[in-house]
Amino acid sequence: MSENKFNPKIIGDFLNFSRNFTEAPMKASVPHEVKLGSTQFDVAYKEDKMRLLHFKPLTSKQVRTPLLISYAVVNRYHIFDIDPKKSWVKNLLEQGFDVYLIDWGTPSKIDKFLGFDEYVNRYLDNCVDFICDETNVDKVSIQGYCTGGTLATVYSSLHPERVKNLIATAPVIDGWKDTTVVSNIAKYFDVDKLVDTVGNMPPEFIYFCFSILKPFEQGVEKYIKFLNNIDNEKYVDSFLKIEKWLDETPPIPGELFRQWIKDIYQDNLLIQNKMYVGNKHVSLKNLNMPVFTQVAIGDHLVSPECSMPLHYAVSSTDKTLKLYPTGHVGMIASSFSQKTVLPELGKWLKERS
Amino acid sequence: MENESNITDYYKKTAMFWSDMIAMMSSKPTTLSAVGPLRNLSSNLKKITSELTEANKEIVEFNNFLIEYYKQLADTWTGAQKEVSSRITKIPQNEEGLEAYKRVWIDIFENNFTGLFDSKKFSENYNSLISTELDLLKRWNAITDVMLKSANLPTKEEIEEIYEELHNLKNRISKLESSKKKA
Repeated sequence: MSENKFNPKIIGDFLNFSRNFTEAPMKASVPHEVKLGSTQFDVAYKEDKMRLLHFKPLTSKQVRTPLLISYAVVNRYHIFDIDPKKSWVKNLLEQGFDVYLIDWGTPSKIDKFLGFDEYVNRYLDNCVDFICDETNVDKVSIQGYCTGGTLATVYSSLHPERVKNLIATAPVIDGWKDTTVVSNIAKYFDVDKLVDTVGNMPPEFIYFCFSILKPFEQGVEKYIKFLNNIDNEKYVDSFLKIEKWLDETPPIPGELFRQWIKDIYQDNLLIQNKMYVGNKHVSLKNLNMPVFTQVAIGDHLVSPECSMPLHYAVSSTDKTLKLYPTGHVGMIASSFSQKTVLPELGKWLKERS
Repeated sequence: MENESNITDYYKKTAMFWSDMIAMMSSKPTTLSAVGPLRNLSSNLKKITSELTEANKEIVEFNNFLIEYYKQLADTWTGAQKEVSSRITKIPQNEEGLEAYKRVWIDIFENNFTGLFDSKKFSENYNSLISTELDLLKRWNAITDVMLKSANLPTKEEIEEIYEELHNLKNRISKLESSKKKA
């Protein structure tokens, strides 16, 4: 007669998990009360809802050319300063860079008509003007992340005389080569109907796109791991910060979203040098300044195949392409980025600033 | 399909006929007695009736796309579960086995669902679902506009005109400022 035996380890794990589940509210902060960002800054310039943040220096001597970071239009800029130990901004300040960062703000209904033209030729251009005036330089280095990388690329093409160096971190460039599920949705999307009916691209839709990216790893396993690590203060703190950041997605202005979907994902005009912004022709051949393209191999939001073509499309002879064995967020906010990505970027930028 | 369309046309025509008739029958007393929002509302009722009738077709379409959406999810779940079951016999029944089972489960489900979300059939159906939802929203907006008009309040379209005007003004100011700076 066979005897049913329960493995004590499995029972122990189950009991631990139940205990963690019950005790989690006592051990972790309420996600919405978690504070993001730790590095000090001043709001140097403001226009409509856009703010230009100027971070306070952490070194006595600074690199001559200031660095302007163009954040993405999805989620908020806090990911660049999510945690002191993983802060992109803090690391650059410690390397002696003068760092400015654009917070695009939270668009409301009145911002529906803002498009690529306003983002590039008005907001970005005015920020560059402001920085040049304030720091007494003619050019700035621009780093753009994700969709911010696309904006920075378009800006550099239209205003090459204002850009000393361009750093494109996981930029959205070749929409047809993007193999992510986001691009699969975008390809068949009736963007005209959405913008004409709703106005801005609602955050709920962006959440849907997030939810279909690795739904089981990100939607199930991640939370089990969180509960299993509930006694690890650092893990819990970092987890809640990222979760809060993911949960704070602003709407995307309607006209910007319309051109984004049509020109980048559906018609793929940018890489073909056929895109127009504010009646001005955007050619990647105009990118004659030093260009550094950073790509994450495990990026499931902007696939490497979508970002890499930038490197081959520019006319610059001083260009660098780096592939990192990490993901979209891991490239900018992880211990890996602190140890590898940022030192390489700092070295590259210092040699050219 | 044709039958469905005939039924919709029948209800649409019936609704329009009676709303017109009622409006005509009641027009004399109302014009004599009312100039306020109720008078406006009664004359705009035809528009509301028309929007509601037209919405029927879209509700049916929306429902079909929604059913297909859940069917795709359910089919993928079933397929993934079958695949997990076929692999589970090869996993040893011990501590490591439980960990391996979890990994296999997540990997298979992840692959199957990513495959679905990456497919043309999912994208087409999902986008049709959103598109029909937006059609319904358009009708809802049209009905709300009628109500707003009746209450003498600005409609969505009128507010958007102001937004657009403001947007153009801001752009003009920005261009003026920039040309002034260059000069």
